[in-house]
Amino acid sequence: MLELSRRRFLIGVGLSGLAVASPRLLAVPPSSGDQAFHTRPIPSTGESVPAIGMGTWITFNVGSDQYLIDQRTRVLETFLAQNGTVIDCSPMYGSAADVIGAGLDKLGAHDRIFAATKIWTSDGSETREQATTSERRWGIDRFDLLQVHNLLAWQEHLATLKAMKAEGRVRYIGITTSHGRRHGELARIMETEPLDFVQLTYNVLDREVEERLLPLARERGIAVIANRPFQGGSLFRRFQSEPLPSWAAEAGIGNWAEFFLKFIISHPAVTCAIPATTRVEHMQENMGAMYGQLPDASQRRKMADYVRQL
Amino acid sequence: MSGASWLSYSLQDFMMFGPEVFLRLFVRVNQALWPWLLVWPLAAVLLPWLGRKTAELPRRLAVALVGLGWIGCGYFFLVRYYGPVNWPATGFGWAFVIQGLLLLMLKGRALPGPMAWPVVVSWWLAVLLLPWLSVLEADDIRALALFGVAPGVTVAASVLLFARQPWPLKWLLLMLPLVWSLFSAATYWALGTFWLLGFPVAALLLFVIALRVNPSPVQSPGSQSVRPGPEHQWP
Repeated sequence: MLELSRRRFLIGVGLSGLAVASPRLLAVPPSSGDQAFHTRPIPSTGESVPAIGMGTWITFNVGSDQYLIDQRTRVLETFLAQNGTVIDCSPMYGSAADVIGAGLDKLGAHDRIFAATKIWTSDGSETREQATTSERRWGIDRFDLLQVHNLLAWQEHLATLKAMKAEGRVRYIGITTSHGRRHGELARIMETEPLDFVQLTYNVLDREVEERLLPLARERGIAVIANRPFQGGSLFRRFQSEPLPSWAAEAGIGNWAEFFLKFIISHPAVTCAIPATTRVEHMQENMGAMYGQLPDASQRRKMADYVRQL
Repeated sequence: MSGASWLSYSLQDFMMFGPEVFLRLFVRVNQALWPWLLVWPLAAVLLPWLGRKTAELPRRLAVALVGLGWIGCGYFFLVRYYGPVNWPATGFGWAFVIQGLLLLMLKGRALPGPMAWPVVVSWWLAVLLLPWLSVLEADDIRALALFGVAPGVTVAASVLLFARQPWPLKWLLLMLPLVWSLFSAATYWALGTFWLLGFPVAALLLFVIALRVNPSPVQSPGSQSVRPGPEHQWP
């Protein structure tokens, strides 16, 4: 469902007036950046974040290649122009944090993002040190969200993250998994620990989390970031040559990227999906999923059935 | 993580970077070393001329050139450029540097006799043809994988010399090329850069060729195409 934001309302009022004076102006379609977009509240505070974020695994690990750093900066610029804010990274992603930092520097956009990274070290005493290193690489004073990566040394890291949150060193804390692994252990942590976020793999084919983790997240008031929304790109490789279903437009879907992403963010427990891309045009397609109608429950079932039978 | 859990990952799950990033490494290293990098293919082409000499000093120089090639590609390509996008590459890079230093320390013992013609021809084929694999893959002439700069060509050509050494030096020198070839083959497969699989495949083929070619005149006098001259110095 299209949300009516204050911005959209004011634009609408302004355009109504202009319509009288200059109908020709209305012939220019507004960019998606001017439209209302889907946001989701973080249950622990009620703060809203856009429903499509940006992952950086593989895509932003370009080393010191200035040509590719500039190119990724354009991808980041497109993301921000389309109202994206949530950027997710990890120390595990090679040079990705430096490339994000370089892009934010160039765009002067440090204060326009919801910065999320992970703690990825088996040494449970290095939590603060690694967070500080990541802050320096991004060029920010503090992260909005710090997550324990893949449950690695999670007891020690989570204890420190809770202390850091209490000190105001980080706003939200969480824990991540991917590829459908260690769901049982993650569920136990979600049941007992005061998490703001969990990150897990969820897409139109990998739906195990619908059974236990997504309902648990709603029950416990934990925000959910969905990683691998395109299953590492394999969803496109498998389905891109296939036609979209005839009823796609009714569900607000204009291309396969929107099909995959709208399926995810239309789940009531999901806060944000984080697709990654190296190309501006793909970023534009991804961000398109943040606009317009979302599929309802029966349409979501049809979407899952459709890809299953292809 | 349990062993079974590791098995559930695919090769692609371990890739930290995309093919574009990797192929641009060849271009970037070549641009950074230009025009000095031209010294390396020139040295590689001329190396057999030194390697076929019966005098010991030219053959020592040949081994030194190979050693410098390993140091060069280890430090520049692997440590400086590849390492930041793929951590194992940094370790491999330093191992290449150590192997290069080892070759320098051998002072010619890694080339105990003149290079046989089949080895010379194989060497030339390796250093002149293999560089084009990365050009084919990247569709960019600037991505030429030169001996002494790019690890695939450096390893494949060097295997020809290492494989003909007596035990245990042979296996000491071949250990790193073997591990690198396995690592790079897995990387190229996961990246889908199939032309580059030619590097490890060539290394394997050249290893077999080197084993099958008659050993140096030291080990098998009379079987070589090299006619010992008056400067014949080996025992």
